[in-house]
Amino acid sequence: MMTFSIEGVFAVVQSEWIPRSVDISVPSMARTYDYLLGGAHNFAVDRELAAQVERIMPDARSAARVNRAFLGRAVRHMIGQGVTQFLDIGSGIPTVANVHEVAQAVDPECRVVYVDKDPIAVAHSELMLAADDRAAVVHADMREPRAILDHPETRRLLDFDQPIGLLVLMMLHWVPDEADPWALMATYRDALAPGSHLAITHVTADHQDESLTDVTDLIKDSRSADQLTERPHDRVLALFGDFELIEPGLVGCAAWRPGGPGDISDTPEMNMVIYGGVARKP
Amino acid sequence: MSQPAQAPRPGPQSPSPDSARARDLLARKWTYLLGAVTATALTKDDLERELRARLDELCAVLAADPFDAAAVERIGEAVVATGYAGEDGLRRTVEVLGRGLPALPEFRQAPAHRMALAIGALATGFLTANRRAVFEQQERLQLSLLKSVRDAKWNLKESEARFDEVVTSSTNGVLIADLDGRLVRANGAIGEILGRTTAELTGANLFDLVHPDTVGMLREAMLAAAEGARDRVRQSQRLLRADGDVARISLTASLVGGEDGASRHFVVVVEDGTELVLLQSELNRQALHDVLTGLPNRQFFSTHLESALRRADPAHGVTLLHLDLDAFAMVCDSRGRRAGERLLTHVAQRLKSVLARERAMVARLDGDEFGILIENTAATPDIATLAAAINRELAEPLYVDGHGLALPASIGVVRGGRDDDPAELLRAADQALRRAGTGRRGQWEVFDPHRDIADRATRELAVGMPGAWERGEITVRYRPVVGLGDGGVAGVEAVLHWERPDAPIAHEQCVELAEQTGLILPLGEWLLATAGRQVHWWRQRNGFASPLTVALTAHQARDADLVPRVVRALQSAGLPASRLVVGIPTRAATVPEVADNLGVLAELGARTALDDFALGPDDFAAGRALGVHVIRVAGRWVDLRADAGHADALTAALRDTGAVVAVSGVTTADQAAWWRRAGADLATGAYFGPDAPAPDVPVRS
Repeated sequence: MMTFSIEGVFAVVQSEWIPRSVDISVPSMARTYDYLLGGAHNFAVDRELAAQVERIMPDARSAARVNRAFLGRAVRHMIGQGVTQFLDIGSGIPTVANVHEVAQAVDPECRVVYVDKDPIAVAHSELMLAADDRAAVVHADMREPRAILDHPETRRLLDFDQPIGLLVLMMLHWVPDEADPWALMATYRDALAPGSHLAITHVTADHQDESLTDVTDLIKDSRSADQLTERPHDRVLALFGDFELIEPGLVGCAAWRPGGPGDISDTPEMNMVIYGGVARKP
Repeated sequence: MSQPAQAPRPGPQSPSPDSARARDLLARKWTYLLGAVTATALTKDDLERELRARLDELCAVLAADPFDAAAVERIGEAVVATGYAGEDGLRRTVEVLGRGLPALPEFRQAPAHRMALAIGALATGFLTANRRAVFEQQERLQLSLLKSVRDAKWNLKESEARFDEVVTSSTNGVLIADLDGRLVRANGAIGEILGRTTAELTGANLFDLVHPDTVGMLREAMLAAAEGARDRVRQSQRLLRADGDVARISLTASLVGGEDGASRHFVVVVEDGTELVLLQSELNRQALHDVLTGLPNRQFFSTHLESALRRADPAHGVTLLHLDLDAFAMVCDSRGRRAGERLLTHVAQRLKSVLARERAMVARLDGDEFGILIENTAATPDIATLAAAINRELAEPLYVDGHGLALPASIGVVRGGRDDDPAELLRAADQALRRAGTGRRGQWEVFDPHRDIADRATRELAVGMPGAWERGEITVRYRPVVGLGDGGVAGVEAVLHWERPDAPIAHEQCVELAEQTGLILPLGEWLLATAGRQVHWWRQRNGFASPLTVALTAHQARDADLVPRVVRALQSAGLPASRLVVGIPTRAATVPEVADNLGVLAELGARTALDDFALGPDDFAAGRALGVHVIRVAGRWVDLRADAGHADALTAALRDTGAVVAVSGVTTADQAAWWRRAGADLATGAYFGPDAPAPDVPVRS
């Protein structure tokens, strides 16, 4: 339940303070993703964008669900390898089946730090995690690795001498080549202890026709702060650096150790539109 | 699949290994289908375990009496709690359970309505939980927004506009009201919910927008919040739309503001629940309503009757009406099925309007039959008034495809109270209707238990009749037709006789019974053929040349196959048509098919008669119109001589028809003598001897 009081907030609103970052006249990828999963943490602009995406990719919902299911399998696998602390970069709206929910269901001792740059997603995460002292959210941009790795909340919850599960899901395709995501990922990888794991999902056009290009254009036209960069297999593979990919490697995320019908889409292309892989630091 | 016939059926309380296996399979299927559309933190196995447990609970409720809808709703809620199940999850759950539950071994015999109720309740729980989830998520999002506003501490001059932009983008209505309920600000969504502009709303009072029945509840709760007794008000409320409709919404009012108290306000978040409520009721509606008229169906009506009886006012009870549109089949035949359907829709609306002031349910039971259940109060009009009002309303022509149609209804009425059995009450109403329907059109009839016993005895006889005929218990007897001039036998009338051990049944009752079941058609043909052969034999044997009279029933007279039947019977008997007198009931004479039949028979050479002639103006008109050969005055007029004022005029009118006048039911010499003087030619009746078997008939040439 909600533990947060609205009183102070309203005082601010009434005194005519409002942040430019809270611009809900443009869609947010986090809220759109939540809508595609079936959530209600979204606004009309987000639903409108989702509807347009669905017109181009009729089964986009299942792609979102399949990615979410991958998250669950990746986290459970890591816990099976002895990982009990997680850093989730680009966590977005902490919608259903999030990392701490999955992890703490297996091991209540698990600790989780979420990172997002969207102030609404962060505010939402704070509200949701207020009662969980083993989980926290950091408001930061993944393009500033030090801000994340050195953040007091990160340091409070995570022990960098122990293996950490780093999750960068549905995130890196929002980072353009100019920002050098490979260099960014190298910084993160270097910060982790041996035995740590890295999970990445990334949108690809390797198995797509024009529809993904259309989605990319759509997002561009939506004036969203986030712009989509799909990447081919080798470019995504390079994000894992020298980490050792575990079986079955970097594959359509539905094909990564599926365990049930919820892990796979009925639409074959939706199983292949997102690459997913988990790698271990030697 | 196991064969249910081979093994004894296990009781629902003790699921057999078979049944447990069936449930395992069903739960697996459910998991498979639900899992494929649900975002969930559970693994497939966890989900399957969860759903298997819910299935067991569901089965337990289904097996228990009385049906616990609330428990099933909770199960629906629990399913939603597994993740984002959504509409697809509901659809798949309904599909898999809707097929799977009735196929479980323990429920193959379970009543279908129970399954429908269970699926409905499950859907209700599903919707309720989903709705709550949506509400909570949206509320949390609103709070996140406001919180992020605080956290960021950006100063923008255009905050008013920006704030509006924030709340405008929400599908939730947002109102800001001062402690007295005066609205300081309103967003576009609440404007849409209420059908008013935000400008109209600003400055208006919140409490003026709430339905008068529930405004007190809100006022109290908000007062309590303002006094610090509670943090937040959350209510299901009804708001008044500009167009007069009511919007059903969920409302959350939070008190906000500084310590000084002056700036304290309520933020009221309004979620439009109308669509969900509509969807919910639509699900129930589909299972319980007739698609064409939108009225409750028989199943809903029966259920409603049960509960109405339970809560019936001991003094006034309930009144159950069973209506049947008298000429509906005729409308369908002549104007087509679609016209019939339109007509039913109109009738449904009119019935509802007649009963608008009562606590009543109007239902479509079947075809052209409607049921009305009135929960009586001291103010409920009596049955005669109600029945008259209904028929007055239905007598107003309904315009279908440009044709004005008026369909009176026959109405069976029965009163009931707490001790009555619903099924028995429905049967009684139906029974009363059948009796009302046998009279004139537009009649109503109150169920009469004494009549009912007699009716039941009659029905038993009627259904036993074909067997009796088969066994030869029904025979043909002959009733002498006597010439009043010379007292000689001028012909015979063939009649039925049912020899029963305790009490033989005479012709008139035989005919009435056979008429009810339709047996009269074959039985009548047999009567004619048998009598025809007998008369033919009498002619061969001793030159008997007088005519054979056969009286048809209304049903026979209208029968489209009457002519071929008569021709067949005469041919098989070798009797010429000219030897036959065919009588039809006078009251059926105006039916076009009857007149046609009679015309064809006359052309074939048969003589025609009007039976049961009642000496009324309509009867005389029928006699003139049809130009029959014989008029047979009904037995109940045999004592016409007692009617000093009119007897002369009536007998004169009879003679003026030009037909042969016959009188029935003569029992005394005086009657015979009077009618002879009055100009009647022929007579039948007990005075001339009983209906006799062929060998005892005193025929001569």
